Amino acid sequence: MIPPNVGQIPPELGLFATIFGVFATIFIYSFLWKENPLSRAVEHLFIGLAAVFTLGAMYDAALTQAYWGTDRIIEGNFMWIIPILISLMYFFFFSKKYFFLYRYPVSIVAGIMAGMMICGQIQSNFLVQIQSTVTLPLVGEGVWEGWPPPGLDSIIIIIGIITALSFFFFTWEHKGALGISTKIGRYFLMATFGAAYGGTVMARLSLFIGRLTFLYQTSYEDWFWAWYLIPIAVICVIIVALWERSKPTPTPPTPETKPTRKGKSE
Amino acid sequence: MALSISRIDRRYLYLLLFILVSIPFLYPLKLPLTIGVHSRLVYEVTEGLPPGSIVISSVDFGPSTLTENRPHLKAHLFHCKEHELKVVCLAFWISGGPIGDDVLREVYGSDFPNVPQYGTSIVYLGYVPGNEVGMQTFGDNTVLAKGTDHYGTPVGDLPLMQECASAEDFDLWAEWTSGTPGEQQVIQFVQGRHGGPSAVPIVVGSTAVSVPGMMPFYAAGQILGILNGLAGGGEYEQLLIDAYEYPLVEALPLLDSQSVGHLLIIAFVIIGNIGYAISKYGGGEGS
Repeated sequence: MIPPNVGQIPPELGLFATIFGVFATIFIYSFLWKENPLSRAVEHLFIGLAAVFTLGAMYDAALTQAYWGTDRIIEGNFMWIIPILISLMYFFFFSKKYFFLYRYPVSIVAGIMAGMMICGQIQSNFLVQIQSTVTLPLVGEGVWEGWPPPGLDSIIIIIGIITALSFFFFTWEHKGALGISTKIGRYFLMATFGAAYGGTVMARLSLFIGRLTFLYQTSYEDWFWAWYLIPIAVICVIIVALWERSKPTPTPPTPETKPTRKGKSE
Repeated sequence: MALSISRIDRRYLYLLLFILVSIPFLYPLKLPLTIGVHSRLVYEVTEGLPPGSIVISSVDFGPSTLTENRPHLKAHLFHCKEHELKVVCLAFWISGGPIGDDVLREVYGSDFPNVPQYGTSIVYLGYVPGNEVGMQTFGDNTVLAKGTDHYGTPVGDLPLMQECASAEDFDLWAEWTSGTPGEQQVIQFVQGRHGGPSAVPIVVGSTAVSVPGMMPFYAAGQILGILNGLAGGGEYEQLLIDAYEYPLVEALPLLDSQSVGHLLIIAFVIIGNIGYAISKYGGGEGS
């Protein structure tokens, strides 16, 4: 069983964690300069660690859920064995003879998710959205008071929805009134994509700032180790990049000749 | 000129970004901060709950978005603690399990869960498996979704969980998310199944990239307030500083760096567009 404090770094490993974190951060960001063995190594390490952590935590969660703590099966609630048996059927993927059994858990999961998602999507993402659009306030007390008035928001939303939907209407050619509507709709769509791009920039920049915070402000026993480790990590990247540059460029392998049906080579 | 703009090596731009974003770490600029309406709504919804109300705090993010989501979670947990709300904290993301434990130790003390409030005012269930299915099960029957808390104590032994049997008992769902399952799944599988927004109000703290996609749900009243990325976290921290002298500030000092970074990106966009316009209309390459 994974210990509950799996996310905590033990104090005796604090320095190791700082050193490892600094080197990993510099190595992974060295990708922006150029791809190099160190950036690839940290990338692979990250994927491996994530896979191992996920596997271990899922195993722990399944066993905790079914056996430990709850005693559900021990108390005779054998229904809890069924999901474990179904999930074990995934391993038939590795058997040629019984591969067909692997399809059952896949079908069950796909069926359950489809059933759940269809109901949930129609209710929450479709009906409620339509309802909130058709009930937008255009008249009434306070609708046209203040600046910007709520009524103006409503009009912009209504125009945006109608024109953006008309952009995806392909039965008639986009000419005349429909052409004007699709053009306005295109501007609404562009504004939406612009907002999404702005959000993306903000998010990525935040993550970069988070790494900088770690590099600049992480201390261990009142020593800001990162300040001393950053130059070492940068030098490592430069050495590896120069070493890689000094290697002769491998020539791409020539494509193998494949025999045709008539036995002739292509 | 347009040609030279288009030929700038992008690595110089990265270097410029690195230098400018680093400056506020060494010389804080203390730029003014305006509290956005979405952040204020999260604060007001939480503040408006009577003491003793049950809040579900869902840690649905991983280490990759810690910078954005962690300040949301920490500040809101602190707010709930100070406002005497009861919190059931859990994670539908497998990587959220250790993060939730880490943040709770920061808010409630390093001895957490060995604190007097544990079991009566605060419970940490840890990772609840099943993604969307787990969410739906938790809304229908909390005990069925997770047999034990994060520390191995059977859920039946925790008094707070007796008060929190299903979604009918939730007074607020605080969703801290950076993907799926996230706020849309809570809306579909908990809020939608148990009486709508009035029965299960939802506030969200999200990574900024996801917020534009949430706005239709906010406009429809399915989400009552949103903390938008690092800026939203900083705004919420400012509100807590004003009201509760919030001591665990994390996002607020980083907003200077973010503002500088945004100004630089805006400058890049303007310069790039000028270059494009010159090349298109000035007889350059692009014409």
